[in-house]
Amino acid sequence: MSLRVAVDIGGTFTDFVCLDETTGKIIEEKTHTTPDNFARGVEDAIDIAGINLEEVNYFVHGTTVVINAVTERSGAKTALLTTKGFRDVLDIGRANRPDMYNYFYKKPVPYVPRYLRYEVNERVAFDGEVLKELDEAEVRAVAQKMKDNGVEAVAVSFLHSYKNPTAEERAEQILREELPGVPISISSNLARIWREYERTSTTVLNAYVMPSTQLYLDTLEEHLHDKKLIGEPHAMLSNGGTATFSRAKEIPINLIESGPVGGVIGAAALGEIMGEPNIITFDVGGTTAKTSLINKGELNVTTEYKLEWTPLFAGHPVKTPVVDIIEIGNGGGSIAWIDEVGVLKVGPRSAGAHPGPACYDLGGTEPTLTDANLIIGRISADNFLGGTFKVNVEKAREAVKPIAEFFNISIEEAAQGIIQTANSNMLNALKLISVRRGYDPQDFAMLVQGGNGAGFGPQLAKELKVKKVIVPNLPGTFSAWGMLVSDLRQDFMQTNIMPVTGADLEVINSIYDDMEAQAEEIFAKQDIPKDKLLIQRSAEMRYIGQEHGVVTPVAGGLLDVAAIEAARKKFDDLHYQNYRFKLEGAPVEFVSFNMTVFGVVAKPEVKKLEVTGRELAAALKGERNVMYEGDGVKLAPVYDRALLEPGHTILGPAVVEESKSVTVMCPGQELIVDDLGNLIISNLEE
Amino acid sequence: MTKKLDPFTRENISQSLLAAADEMFYTWGRTSQSTIIYEVLDYACGLTDAEGHLIGQANGATMFLGAITFSAKAVLEKFGKENLKPGDMFLTNDPYTGSGTHLCDVAAVLPIFYEGELVMFAVNKGHWNEIGGTNLGSWATDTKEIFQEGLILPDIRIYDGGVFNESVKDIIAANCRTPEMTLGDLYAQTAALKTAESRILEIFDKYGRDNVIESLEYILDNGRKLALLELQKMPKGTFYAEDILDTNSNNVEDIPIKVKVTITDDTFELDYTGTGDAVFAPINCSYYGALSGARIVYQALVSPHTAANDGFYSPIKVIAPENCLFNAKKPYPVSCDWEPIQILTDVVLKAMAPAMPERVAAGHFLSIVGTIIGGIDDKTGSPFVLSEPQAGGWGAGYNKDGENGLVAICDGETYVIPVEVCEFRYPLRVEQFAFNPVSGAGEYRGGKGLIRDYRVLNSNAELTTMASRYKYPPWGFAGGKDGSPNAVTLFKADGSSAETRATWSHEPMVEGDLVRFITGGGGGYGDPLKRPVESVLRDIRDEMITIEEARQDYGVVIDEESGELDEEATRLARQ
Repeated sequence: MSLRVAVDIGGTFTDFVCLDETTGKIIEEKTHTTPDNFARGVEDAIDIAGINLEEVNYFVHGTTVVINAVTERSGAKTALLTTKGFRDVLDIGRANRPDMYNYFYKKPVPYVPRYLRYEVNERVAFDGEVLKELDEAEVRAVAQKMKDNGVEAVAVSFLHSYKNPTAEERAEQILREELPGVPISISSNLARIWREYERTSTTVLNAYVMPSTQLYLDTLEEHLHDKKLIGEPHAMLSNGGTATFSRAKEIPINLIESGPVGGVIGAAALGEIMGEPNIITFDVGGTTAKTSLINKGELNVTTEYKLEWTPLFAGHPVKTPVVDIIEIGNGGGSIAWIDEVGVLKVGPRSAGAHPGPACYDLGGTEPTLTDANLIIGRISADNFLGGTFKVNVEKAREAVKPIAEFFNISIEEAAQGIIQTANSNMLNALKLISVRRGYDPQDFAMLVQGGNGAGFGPQLAKELKVKKVIVPNLPGTFSAWGMLVSDLRQDFMQTNIMPVTGADLEVINSIYDDMEAQAEEIFAKQDIPKDKLLIQRSAEMRYIGQEHGVVTPVAGGLLDVAAIEAARKKFDDLHYQNYRFKLEGAPVEFVSFNMTVFGVVAKPEVKKLEVTGRELAAALKGERNVMYEGDGVKLAPVYDRALLEPGHTILGPAVVEESKSVTVMCPGQELIVDDLGNLIISNLEE
Repeated sequence: MTKKLDPFTRENISQSLLAAADEMFYTWGRTSQSTIIYEVLDYACGLTDAEGHLIGQANGATMFLGAITFSAKAVLEKFGKENLKPGDMFLTNDPYTGSGTHLCDVAAVLPIFYEGELVMFAVNKGHWNEIGGTNLGSWATDTKEIFQEGLILPDIRIYDGGVFNESVKDIIAANCRTPEMTLGDLYAQTAALKTAESRILEIFDKYGRDNVIESLEYILDNGRKLALLELQKMPKGTFYAEDILDTNSNNVEDIPIKVKVTITDDTFELDYTGTGDAVFAPINCSYYGALSGARIVYQALVSPHTAANDGFYSPIKVIAPENCLFNAKKPYPVSCDWEPIQILTDVVLKAMAPAMPERVAAGHFLSIVGTIIGGIDDKTGSPFVLSEPQAGGWGAGYNKDGENGLVAICDGETYVIPVEVCEFRYPLRVEQFAFNPVSGAGEYRGGKGLIRDYRVLNSNAELTTMASRYKYPPWGFAGGKDGSPNAVTLFKADGSSAETRATWSHEPMVEGDLVRFITGGGGGYGDPLKRPVESVLRDIRDEMITIEEARQDYGVVIDEESGELDEEATRLARQ
């Protein structure tokens, strides 16, 4: 019973990491994702790794089952019940036209067609007062119609239910009686925040994925138990925490970004061990680059996630907490192309796993980032995926040639141009998550991960001016490792607008008390006792008249006037940090009261890397020419990471290779191997 | 680290500049204290070169975006380049000199200096909730001259070498009904410009002055090239259309709108000769307003997804005779200038529709149905002002049905106010927010307009609104039927009347009164009899059309007893 297992299903690969707590040994595996039957992919990974599930005390799973169901529209036949007069809110949305000049813009298509959107007589005012009681007979009649229409899931969203959920709760009861076996989702249960369209959209999506998520998690759990897994498996949530499968099935929309958050949690956990509370994560995989920011050990969690949003498409709002990750379409497989006016672009189209980059020699002819990397020596043909995969440099050069000819430059220069363009895209994303939000990169370490993170990271770190780069152990499967060290998490949020001056302490204290009581109940069901709960309170605050607030930490325990005043002062400071001005004399109000509760699980101990006294020279594999932006071609020594030991120091330019990643150091950078085996890269001078 | 400018670096600089404009937009939206800014997003941000040429912009209200460059140019013209200095910032809302739109829309212009040299301008422009004028919310539907429409800020220097002009601040505060909110917005607007400035200076530091300046020229040059490429693909010749503006403001009725569109390999000319003269009602626009509208329709026709800049816009020529509705001079009122600006775009589309069905959909509800409900709140004793655009139905196109409930063409990344936010902030109750079932029939059906009901919960309130297209509905095309009109109905609490009008001007209301905004459905495209039967059946199922409409408009007959499709009767009706 000393193994911890994480299985992370991604678009191309399913990553598997198993940690033996007694020896500290880690096994990593990558298998192909099996879209026809994800559960089989999970089982394959377990079989290949040769793990006995009886030995496993903690099993956590990151899954794409929810995001796939919504993007492929393969979820349940869902009905919506709304307040009379408002069934079209889901279709109207906010009526914005982000594609401003296009007369052929298409709005997001609602997940419930109009004939399945039902209205019922009931009405609550903005202050929670019941203006019209729920017409229960009408609810029963509507339930009958739903049944006749073969509805498989129901969402309920009434006006102002964030303030008074009684009518929604009663409707839920009635629907459960009338529609046994049909999952019901009510808005006040998911997001007690105002704005009816956004809340309704969230509830509808939750209902929409409930049946398929239940089926998937049930099937997988059954298989895991067949293989003798003892405890209840956990699912990774988008908020950066986990929940048991049974909790996850009630709130499946919270799994929408289940996969990508692992790497961010891992970064926070490793940062804590290393004494680095401020981290910018940088994860470059096959199709995308992702970045997120951890400030003072805390993840940035947003409730402004919009499914399928682009600058030209409004998307579907999901108002449950999601770790704030910026993702751009630049990864190893991203294709370089020239637009109609002769500008070089990279991505978002990707060559994917098939045919893959041109150098894979599997029929791909378009130039990708990986091809460019190969041409300028940042990666080597001899060590691709640890030498297990043969690549063809000539094919890469052929693919890049048209770009070289177009600009009348050499193939190497064209490859460098492709890298530079991708660097610029990635740098803009990194700035968006850091400087653009008022953070100074010099206060942060950049933690690189994914197959390509360590290749791009050091160069970008130089430009972004972060204080150091951390290349963790096994960067290629770091996201799955992150899942292993995550806690259970539940977020609460309740809109309740109230001036700060003369705030009703009784109301605030009772909101927080209720949340704590709910948390205790939710966690008790997941076998987490009260003394293992870590509670963080916050409140969204704003200057009166503003709409958007700033989430500000609030003290624990019974709140008094002094605690409220302290929060106000903190708010001014945060507002200044975010927006560069504050109005210290202006009145401030609370918008919502929030709470995050962690169910703390035991963390595996990270073992120090053994020191044998091996010389650095023993790790030197050879040398090769590498082309650098601004510095030209440099001869770089190449090291084998497996042979590096704590205390080894390397000066850039240099390359460090391992089986699923390559670290490319720039001239003027220094690398030190720390006690845990992480590679720490810093800029020597500017 | 200055180096020779290669094509990749040049592109990096362009992208970084656009990111700076986006950030300005984001900062202002997050910090504003006006509902119309933060909830509706009725504002826009852009960057220009040192001559005032638009280099890049962030999404926002299209009408504002079109006007950004003229605000910077107006500042240059008034003060002269040599008299601008670091730390200066200017405000303008003067429609006749370059701000372009009505007085509520205030542009802030910040000259950016690098090592002592003027290199660029950052400009943002947004709708202030209050700037004085005849009624709460400032814009009005019955003014006769500009002086009734609020405080005019004619390209004034609000920051002089970094020093804030307190006197101007006091004048603004003294002339607004909600001074704290208005000034709060000014601070947020300033902070957003400062953010853009620091980003731009970082870009100059990183790439070097010469390289960035070269990139600015390159952006404009590239825009021009792209425009010419697109113009080559377009149908050439002269195209005509006419329409009627029917707001009924100050009893002005039926103003003729005429356009002659001429497209050649290198020009896109709009000639509005024949359009009615300016009127003593707030439905004129200045020439700059017309230019702003021209940019919108040009972009829609030529290339909706090309990044906007003055190079791209260079082929546009607008002819609007002196004193025409689209070239009003001081003191003609312009408070509801979105109405003329929208119809001047729409009539161009109508002219081009037959030749360019791949870019032009049938007519949409067009009017913004701009709405003010304001009063003195019984509970607080302070003024409240709900000021918002309504959304409506859009036209069908050659391959799709029209969209239901979207903001009009002069708005863009602009949002309707949520019911829950509205009820919390104002003494109003929204009693329904739903589709208006009537829209234009066609092989592709027009999108649905909306119905939004406000019940007054306060002892007093007043209603100001304007809806054009109340007599002449959105046009159908290629055999599609016209859509349905806009209307605003006031139901008195005592049941004494239910009156529908296009224009209401600070109409008194009392507790229990209900005002119903009905926005039009879009026009249809193509012969309704060609609409696939299954699409018609789906529309019946979804209650988007009635069984009666299915029979009359689409020749799809439903048997009354069984509720099933009568195939034989349908076949006959569709012959």
